[in-house]
Amino acid sequence: MSDLLVVEDLTVTFSTARGPVDVVKDVSFTVGRDETVGIVGESGSGKSMTSLAIMGLLPKGAAARGTIRLDGTDVLGASPRELRQLRGDRMSMIFQDPLSSLNPYYTVGLQIEELYRAHRGGSRAAAREVVVGALRQVGLPDPERRAGHYPHQFSGGQRQRIMIAMALVCSPSLLIADEPTTALDVTVQAQILRLLADLREQSGMGMVFITHDLAVISSIATRVLVMRRGEQVEYGTAEQVFAEPRHDYTRMLLDSIPRIDDPLDEVSA
Amino acid sequence: MARYLAGRAAGVVLILFLVCLFTFIIFFTLSPDPAVMICGKTCTPERIDQIRGVLGLDEPFPAQFLGFFAGIFAGRDYGEGANLVHCAAPCLGYSFQTNQSVWDMVVERLPVSATVAIGAAVLWLFIGIVAGLLSAVKEGTWWDRAAMGLALGGSSIPNYVLALALQYVLVVQLQVLPFPQAVPFSDDPALWFQSYLMPWLVLATGYACLYARLTRANVIDTLAENFMRTARSKGLSPALTLRRHALRPALTPITTIFGMDFAALLGGALITETVFGLNGVGKMAADSIAKNDQPVIMAVTLLAAFFVVIGNVVVDLVYTRLDPRVRITAR
Repeated sequence: MSDLLVVEDLTVTFSTARGPVDVVKDVSFTVGRDETVGIVGESGSGKSMTSLAIMGLLPKGAAARGTIRLDGTDVLGASPRELRQLRGDRMSMIFQDPLSSLNPYYTVGLQIEELYRAHRGGSRAAAREVVVGALRQVGLPDPERRAGHYPHQFSGGQRQRIMIAMALVCSPSLLIADEPTTALDVTVQAQILRLLADLREQSGMGMVFITHDLAVISSIATRVLVMRRGEQVEYGTAEQVFAEPRHDYTRMLLDSIPRIDDPLDEVSA
Repeated sequence: MARYLAGRAAGVVLILFLVCLFTFIIFFTLSPDPAVMICGKTCTPERIDQIRGVLGLDEPFPAQFLGFFAGIFAGRDYGEGANLVHCAAPCLGYSFQTNQSVWDMVVERLPVSATVAIGAAVLWLFIGIVAGLLSAVKEGTWWDRAAMGLALGGSSIPNYVLALALQYVLVVQLQVLPFPQAVPFSDDPALWFQSYLMPWLVLATGYACLYARLTRANVIDTLAENFMRTARSKGLSPALTLRRHALRPALTPITTIFGMDFAALLGGALITETVFGLNGVGKMAADSIAKNDQPVIMAVTLLAAFFVVIGNVVVDLVYTRLDPRVRITAR
């Protein structure tokens, strides 16, 4: 079976007053069905630009070259209309800050409902049932009532659950999670990670998980892509990258994680 | 809600009281004696005293002021004996110049100012928002630059220059419009429309330019919001993305400014009404100031303050409907 997402030689270029600047350079990776690929890197390493390029959501002034294929569909060559049909339906994205990512003027129910109806049509009443189901699936208590509430009436963790419910309401085959836990408390982070892993496993979709946190990646991804200054410095299975990093930068990243097991090993030895 | 409204109403009365007090103080200390002005050329000290007595000007300041303020709510009597005149509430006194009841003057002229304000508001909201929205969506294009350049120019033209220029071109040279006169709509709808068209255009120009720039800035800011990226990531149509997700957040702050601007205009468009000779509250204000007609000046000042203060309350109430994050909590 072919891969779900194929990214080959992806280059993202910003045209600036001082000429073109490549923020992503020749990045290649694949995401299989039923697999999580982690993209790791510090701020400005190009990991978010990579994900926005996949969604066709690059900001003004940025252009992507190379190949992006989702399930055989050429994403970079797609017309705006074809792209819209892919987004939200076959690929979805959740973002770092769930509060600013939800429109404060509309109920969360409506914001999920409009996505569902844009792709599946149908009556509002029918869509409302799907929405309530999606909210229940992400563990939001009392979803019938809560669907009528506004984003500011939820906690940070609940808002991210709502974003996840929204992203998954059309059962996409690819989910891109761009630092979905960075803005949350540590305890809530763990809950959201668990939820994402569970939902991914249940639905069998592919996931791209972007983070600067290697500890998070190690618990969720089967393959890891390490990026730095727009370039891909390491790409392999999680075991490979964590056990025997080939690149100095990866080793440096790994060393920056405070380790609790080293002294324990010494004691037990 | 009831508690909130009661609190706001008390605030409104307090502000109007203070406006009243300050206006009164200014006239009490600065203006020439109204009795002397009314008395005219052939004047005797006895006559002046008599006038002062009838107008209550012989009383000390606190009594004069409280008499005026209480009269608004309870009515008041002027003079005594055979000369007694009862002024029913809301009593704003009588014009020193024409002896007309000031309240009647306000009632007579307010519809003219309201017509000017409403017509201009419709024009400037429509033109300003449409132009601003187009500019924001086409940010950086020739349309955007041209529209914003025009807006800058338009908001820089003083009203009286624009009014005189329009009048010269449309009335004198081309003769496509009659000279404006405040005819009621029911008398002659066509003449009514032709008469008010120029005042509307003149007033709307400055505001439309300002609102176009405001709308553009708000829409551009909103388009850069994270929730707009979310809306695009959902695969919504561009029309729905703009209409639902960008427009409402961008236009909500404009309601506040509009409420204030419109309320202030109900208190009279002084320059525009004067240039076009429309007998509205604005022209009444200009005339009363020129003639030092204290009761009328008090009335137009209070009226303007009243509309601004009420406009504020209305905007706050409307805002709770427009922005779900804003809720009323009684203090």
